[in-house]
Amino acid sequence: MSRLKTTHDVFSAIGEPKRRLLIEQLVIKEMTVNELVDIFDWSQPTVSKHLGVLKKVKIVSERKEGRFRYYRIQPDELRPIQEWMHQFEKYWGSTMDQLDNYLNQIQVKGIDSEH
Amino acid sequence: MSTDKIIASKIIREFNAPRQLVFDAWTQTKHLKNWMFPMVGCKCEFVSANIIDGGTSLHKVTMPNGHEMWLYTKYEEVLSPEKLVFLQYFSNENGDIVSMDHIPNWPKDMLASLFFEEVSSNKTKLTFLWEPRNPTEEELKAFEATRSDHGNGWGAGMEQLHCYLESL
Repeated sequence: MSRLKTTHDVFSAIGEPKRRLLIEQLVIKEMTVNELVDIFDWSQPTVSKHLGVLKKVKIVSERKEGRFRYYRIQPDELRPIQEWMHQFEKYWGSTMDQLDNYLNQIQVKGIDSEH
Repeated sequence: MSTDKIIASKIIREFNAPRQLVFDAWTQTKHLKNWMFPMVGCKCEFVSANIIDGGTSLHKVTMPNGHEMWLYTKYEEVLSPEKLVFLQYFSNENGDIVSMDHIPNWPKDMLASLFFEEVSSNKTKLTFLWEPRNPTEEELKAFEATRSDHGNGWGAGMEQLHCYLESL
């Protein structure tokens, strides 16, 4: 499937399963490429390539310490996206819990005695 | 517009109430104001409501912490007591749709389709479908990337991510 490249394509960045796994891992703590290579048993270029994409869309940031580069999640960038991800299941799921309670209530008490 | 087939996100729920009442709860403000919010302690107020084919409504949800959210709804199909189709948007108090430009490629039009089925005289099954309308390829990709109910990766980790962001 061919598609246009955009400069700020966060959703395409998180749409790739390997990158989702990286995000989930980095949520726990900041890590180096080598640590990630050990955990996932992927090649170093694979890990670096995917981290590069996440860095480009600013979901992950990089910090140098001595010979090592540490990667960590940028929560402020991820938060609005995560809120949207939760919108349907969490928002409407919870809203329908309210509907459920309300329907039970009015059938017992009747709508006019509601307030 | 993308030529890929859209698979809608879906919630199915059963309510212990007659179908007509469940449908009315979604289409009459005397009911809607009592439940159309995501948690106990919210307030819901309809400023306008013309819930018919082609009609619109504007309502405000006030969260327990005082945060106000305005929602503008365009109704496409109101077929009592079996089907309801609408597009819902974040808006301001005038009903002007708030742009989601800060979230790149988020689908502009999200369509909700609700089907009400009678299970018995006092039990109703509601099927709620949520999908982007006429998305661009980029928007469809964005929608797919945000789903946890389908595709790879976002499962338990998604919950963990949610807890982490909530804890900050």
